[in-house]
This record gives sequence, C-alpha cells and structure tokens, in this order.
Amino acid sequence: MIRLKNVSKIYPGNIVGLQNVNLHIRPGEFVSIVGQSGTGKTTLVKLLISEERPSSGQIVIGGWDISLVRSSEVPLLRRQIGVVFQDFKLLPKKTVYENVAFALEVAGVRSSRIRAIVPQALKIVGLTDKVDRYPRQISGGEQQRVVIARSLVHRPKIIVADEPTGNLDSINTWEIIDLLRRINGFGTTVVLVTHNREVVNSLQRRVITIDRGLVVSDVEEGKYVL
Amino acid sequence: MKLSFLMRVMKFGVQDFFRNFWLSAATVSVLTLTVISINALVLMNVLGKIAVTTVESKIDASVHFRQDVDESRVKTVRVALLGLPEVKEVEYVSPEESLQQFKIDNGEESELVKSLEEIEGNPFGATLIVRAHDTSGYSTIMQTLNQPLFASLIEEKDFSDYEAMVSRLNAITGKLEIFLLAVTCAFGVIALLIVMNAVRVSVYTHREEISIMRLVGASNWFIRGPFYVEALIWTLVSVGLTVLLLYPALIIIQPFLQRFFGSNSVDLVSFYTVNLLSLVGLQVIGVAFMTLVTTKLATARYLRV
Repeated sequence: MIRLKNVSKIYPGNIVGLQNVNLHIRPGEFVSIVGQSGTGKTTLVKLLISEERPSSGQIVIGGWDISLVRSSEVPLLRRQIGVVFQDFKLLPKKTVYENVAFALEVAGVRSSRIRAIVPQALKIVGLTDKVDRYPRQISGGEQQRVVIARSLVHRPKIIVADEPTGNLDSINTWEIIDLLRRINGFGTTVVLVTHNREVVNSLQRRVITIDRGLVVSDVEEGKYVL
Repeated sequence: MKLSFLMRVMKFGVQDFFRNFWLSAATVSVLTLTVISINALVLMNVLGKIAVTTVESKIDASVHFRQDVDESRVKTVRVALLGLPEVKEVEYVSPEESLQQFKIDNGEESELVKSLEEIEGNPFGATLIVRAHDTSGYSTIMQTLNQPLFASLIEEKDFSDYEAMVSRLNAITGKLEIFLLAVTCAFGVIALLIVMNAVRVSVYTHREEISIMRLVGASNWFIRGPFYVEALIWTLVSVGLTVLLLYPALIIIQPFLQRFFGSNSVDLVSFYTVNLLSLVGLQVIGVAFMTLVTTKLATARYLRV
C-alpha cells in the first residue's frame, strides 16, 4: 500500500527531516508513528500527502510513484488519502455539512451523490444533529470528528492522522481513537502519528519509532518506548 | 460536469462575498472611492473642455472700415471672409447702428455724444464682427485682412487685442489637456495600487482556507475561481454604487455649475446619462481587469506546492 525506498528530506541549511527511510505499510494496517518533537514525523506526513517532495528516494502509494507526481496531479492524490490534523483545518465560514461536502464538491462529484454520501459520513462520526453548525459552534472533539467525516467521503484506502488527539481531552481522545479503529475495521489503512503513550500502548498495533530523521524501531504490536 | 463546477465556483464566490461581509464592505468602499475619483476626473475633463468652449464662443474680432467705404464693398469683404473655412459667422454692423450703440453705451447726455452732435454727421464707418470656429482660425483671418486689397479699406481692427488672448487660451488649453492626462495617469497608477492592496488583504485573510482547500484536493482553478467571482462582485457593486452616488450629486451641483459658467450648455447630467453605458462598461472592464489580475497574483503565492 505505502512503500518508502531510501527516502530522505533535507531542508535548506542542510537540516535533516528524514534520512534514508525504508518502510512498507500493508493494506488494512493500523500503524502508529512515534517520536519526539522535531524528529521527522510531520515531515513524513507531508511527504505522504505531497505537501513536500523528497530530496531523494521513492515513495509509492498504491502503485503510484508520488515522488514524481506533477503539481496538477497533487489534488487527485489528496482525494485518495484522508488526512486528519491536530488543528482540525476546517473552513470556518462553512457549516459542518458544507465542510464535509466540500471535499466532494472540489472533486466534481454530482450534487445528488453528495447529498447521499455526506449524511452517511456524518452518521459514522455521530454528528447528524450538528450539520448546520459552524466549526466555532462545536467542541474540539466534534471538530475532529468533522475532519474525519471529511476524510472518509472519498472512501480512501489510507487515512493519515497527524496528532489527531493533540488538542483534545481524554474523553474526546478515546472517542477519536475508537473512530479510527472502526474505520480501520472497514479495511482502511490508518497511519497515526502521535505523542500519546497511552493511546499507542492500548492499540497494540505496529509501532514505528523515528528519531532524528531515522527509523530506529519498527515493531508489530509494539509499545511507546521513548 | 464542467457546468456544475462553474456553478459551484460561482456559489462559493457569492457565499464568500456575504459571509466575509465586513471585508467585502471594506474592499467595495475602497473600490467605490477609486471609481468615484476616476469619474470625477472624467467629469473635470469634460468641464474643462466646456469652459474652454464657452470662452472661445465669446471671442470675436471687430473690423472697423473707413467712413468713406460704402456698404457694398464692406459686404464684399464679408463674403470673402465667409469663404474662409475658419470663419463661423460674420455680422455686418452699419454706421447708423454703430452710432446708435455708441449713444447707448455712453448715454445721450454725455459729453462725448454731445460733441458728436456738434460735428453733425456720423463719424463711424461700417463694422464687421467676425467669429471663427476655433481660436486658432483668427490668425488666418488676420492674414487675409492684411492683404492690400482689404487693408486699404480698414480703419482699425481689434484682432491684435485678441491675438495675445487667443494664443494664451490655446496654450492654456493645451497645457490643461496635458495636465489632466498626467493626473489621470497618476490616478490610474494610484487606483491600481489601492485595488491591488485591497485584493491582497482579502486573499491574505483567506490564506488558511486556501491551504485547507488544497489539503482536501481542490485544484488551483477551483481555489481561485471563487476569488475571481468575489472580485467580479466587488467590481459590479462598486461601479453600481458609484452611479447611485454620482448621479444625484450631479443633479444637485448642475444649477451651481450653470450659474458659474453663465451658460445652460454646461450639462453634466446629460453628458453622464448619454454616456452612461460606455462609462459604466469601461469602468467595469477596467476595475474587473485590475481585480482579476491582482487576485491571480495574490493567490499564486498560496497555491505553490
């Protein structure tokens, strides 16, 4: 599903983001990527969604070499990967429904399809009663659920979640993790980048540890060991 | 599919306009002030031309013939003058009319009039009052009258008085046109900078939204589209507001202008009404061009991958 071959990302000033990373994430896996701040976790996420390009190496997602992707193809790639961020990244001037629908509208999906898909996605995340609210009118946990609903509407094969619980209290944290688990249960590959020791340990899934841009451990049913 | 894309872009543009109401209001205000200023400049240009035309229409030249020159010869000169393309009209004033006018101007009981009565007879010759189409035509008329054939008949001509004035007026008119052109150009540049800044501020406030749109897979065209629609709405609203504000203002100031110029030919309301479509059309095209180009430039920096 996701394969990284000798991927390095060097920023101007010779700052190392990632160094010679080799990874293979299989379809349907739930992988946690852990590491201290500034070790390259977010760089990895940015490379996966083509927010940045690798300095060297190859990134292949579902058979598509995205290290060679053209600018015009980036929107197509992003429609196939669901992305969840710590700071939600919702459009503040659009309602919950409109935020979720927007991901389909930009892809040119017919209005009738949008009217069918969006309520389903909102039902999965449990927000059917808040469709007309604006992001500022709902809690952080609910905002994150809107983001997850938005990432689900394209039925992506992969969801990349970068610190999705970083801004949430413990109740909302577990709700979001349960939601990601359920989505993984549907067969979607989930790549979770997190600092949260409890979450990683409770998941009992594969854990990849990154330190100073290098993959220092990759353990099936691993623990948070920093 | 293409049509639904277009409809969505338009919908988002209209939505953004209303949902960012205060930002839209601020941008429209700046644009409206700019368009009003450009309109004011156009109207000043028109007013300047009207002023010059008014002054020009009041200029004439009088050719006083010797007392012994009979009417038929004066009328021959008149016909010759009318044959010149520069001449608009030539009015014949008989010696009797000149005397009558002199009495009216000076008063029947004045010393001057009494002394004329003592002379017994009319000391005035015939006069031709010449008006040219254009002030530059007077020099040609004067050259014609300086030909020996006519010069021997003429007692006096007050062209020379006008000559300096005409050349001064021509110089002023020429300079005024250059000045207004320079002011218009300068104002155009200032307007462009103001509009660019207003649009850049608007796009800057949306930078977060742009990054989110990119994240969910929106194409650059889909991100830019609503900004273009918003820019077009700003343009239409600002030009519309300008018409709504300027038209009543012109109706109010029209009587004052007519009194100032002493002429009913100063009719800015008619000028504005007759040229409304072309004025509005040109302004919409100009402002839309400015806002669209600026929007493209301002959004470009947030759309780089």
